[in-house]
Amino acid sequence: MLNYLIRRLLIGLLTLTCITFIVYGLIRQMPGDPTTVAINESDPSKKLDLASFKRMREQYYLDDPFPIGYAHWVTNLLRGDLGRSSYQKQSVTSAIGQRIGPTLLLSVTSLTLALLLSIPLGLYSSARNGKTDERVLSTLLYMLYSFPSFVAALLLQYTFYLKLGWLPLDGMHSDGYESYSFVGQLVDVAWHSILPVVCYTYGSLAYESRFIRANMAEVLRQDYIRTARAKGVGPISLLVRHAFRNTLIPMVTLRGMMLPALLSGTVILEKIFSWPGMGLLFLEAIYARDYSLIMGLTLLFSVLTLLGTLVSDILYAVVDPRVSYS
Amino acid sequence: MTAVADPPAAAPVNRSGTRGFWGETWARFRRRKLAMIALIYVIFLTVVALCAPMIAGTKPVLCYYKGSYYSPCWGYFRPAWENVVFKRDRFRRTNYAESLKKGDPQSWAVWPLVYQDPYRRVTAGEQPDLPENPPNGGPPHAGSPFGSDQYGVDIFAQMVHASLTALLVGFVSMGIAGSIGITLGAAAGYLGGWVDMAISRLIEVVMCVPTLILILAMIAIVEKPTIWHIMAVIGVTGWTGIARLTRAEFLKIKQSDFVTAAEAMGAGRLRIMFRHILPNALAPVLVPITFGIASAILIESSLSFLGFGPQGNPSWGKLLTEAPSHMQMWWLIVFPGGAIFLAVLAYNLIGEGLQEATDPRLRGAGR
Repeated sequence: MLNYLIRRLLIGLLTLTCITFIVYGLIRQMPGDPTTVAINESDPSKKLDLASFKRMREQYYLDDPFPIGYAHWVTNLLRGDLGRSSYQKQSVTSAIGQRIGPTLLLSVTSLTLALLLSIPLGLYSSARNGKTDERVLSTLLYMLYSFPSFVAALLLQYTFYLKLGWLPLDGMHSDGYESYSFVGQLVDVAWHSILPVVCYTYGSLAYESRFIRANMAEVLRQDYIRTARAKGVGPISLLVRHAFRNTLIPMVTLRGMMLPALLSGTVILEKIFSWPGMGLLFLEAIYARDYSLIMGLTLLFSVLTLLGTLVSDILYAVVDPRVSYS
Repeated sequence: MTAVADPPAAAPVNRSGTRGFWGETWARFRRRKLAMIALIYVIFLTVVALCAPMIAGTKPVLCYYKGSYYSPCWGYFRPAWENVVFKRDRFRRTNYAESLKKGDPQSWAVWPLVYQDPYRRVTAGEQPDLPENPPNGGPPHAGSPFGSDQYGVDIFAQMVHASLTALLVGFVSMGIAGSIGITLGAAAGYLGGWVDMAISRLIEVVMCVPTLILILAMIAIVEKPTIWHIMAVIGVTGWTGIARLTRAEFLKIKQSDFVTAAEAMGAGRLRIMFRHILPNALAPVLVPITFGIASAILIESSLSFLGFGPQGNPSWGKLLTEAPSHMQMWWLIVFPGGAIFLAVLAYNLIGEGLQEATDPRLRGAGR
């Protein structure tokens, strides 16, 4: 096991180096750089003078070829320094730290909701397999799964903001948020997060309940299920205790794969709802050619993806005694 | 499965009543009603994409001008396909309807089904009974079935012409992803050894790269991305699933007797890989490719929506870009959004039908 872990971590480290090197190379090829963005600043008081222009070019190693800049980035990273964000005017760590909360609020809520709803839905449709209501439900879920989330977001905004006026259009707070009481603030944020959470949830809900149903269909054809049925096990106990438990292994793997989605947010939904999260931060960083911020976010997302696969592989061995890595 | 390795001598096996692998797959696919509807819809979309200039446009499908017949509508695909005579007579200045009359009073024209242009606003008097599109866009009516956008350009015409973009994005990007994935997966599965090691590691590395980050960074490099850049980027990032599946199939089929027979007959590695094994592995590999087409369409429209999309070509996602700032124009959301949804749904349904038709474990499941 330990051997396996060490090998995986070393491969992971290699992968990380590859990814960050490629992304660094790519962003250095983009037209424009942090200085051009600062030069185009419309506010004259913030205009870049020649001295700070030179300082900035030095700060981002713009006069050196990109492998050298990359080497500097890695050296700073090993010292624990992710650099300063050129457009947020603060360190990358604190820029990311500010945006993690809103993204977690959306992703944790929607993943929990999806999990809580998908298990009963999946079990129900495998119990009623082939009946009319199951076919209607499955078709509906399939349509939801194929429905692009940004189209859903626009339609929901049109219906609930413009036509009905029940829910706010976007953002995370109303005006005058600071003057509200604590409970008022909570309600305000909850109010603003309804539409994003719905858009975030329905896709994974549909995906997961279909996933559960597919796995259940496979398990339900096993011999031990027939044996249990012959022994006179009740239908509910059969589904939950005999069949569902045996579908947990792929479920666990799926969870592990979802780890990066927890933090990366969805660029497109956060953009539509002007939600101040990680996805929007990444998009803004690309627009502003903010090298340090793009690299910091890439590093974070890649580490999470690698960790997600590693965790799901380890959990795989934990839940399934047939799998071992020694 | 049989008659692949052998010359015609083995053909009678098929004639004696057993269906070939593809026949079997098709027979099973055909039984799924939803998958068949989806297939018909995709064929319909393809026809619409290829005949777009005949369906919506302001250039005649057929016209008689100064003693000759022309079909200038194909100029929408390529300006060069429009006869030079129209350029010489300055048809671009105004519109065909007026220019035809002015250049030759005897001329006549057969117009596309819907007289609306995907690139400009139709003004009053171009066609009898056709009102002009309001300069700031207007709701659907008989002459402009899906309404017009914030510049008064017709949405139906833009969507019809954009279906070619969707078609190209799906097929070309998955063509790229498929060729990379199948080649690498075949090499890894058949050759094994260090080749397999290296390719498997490569697949792992590429799978770990957050796709959107890579796509955005790659697209940001090109100042004005065309549809071809987008397709290349989607193809280059989307081959891992295909490669893994191909590798697994090749590992399985490598053990078959017919491969041993081919080896014994002295067939080369490439010949065995691509002439003997690949045809038998292709049907399951088509499943991730079909799902990939759906996700390619989705990625392209998301990118266009975010403003990173192809410049110049109309695209369903690009139509949605203006929706947030013109929210009261519901037709800006409903029609392009519905088109994206239906296309993605259709490819997903076909993919699922194929999956159930080719995966022996799923046979008889589901219904």
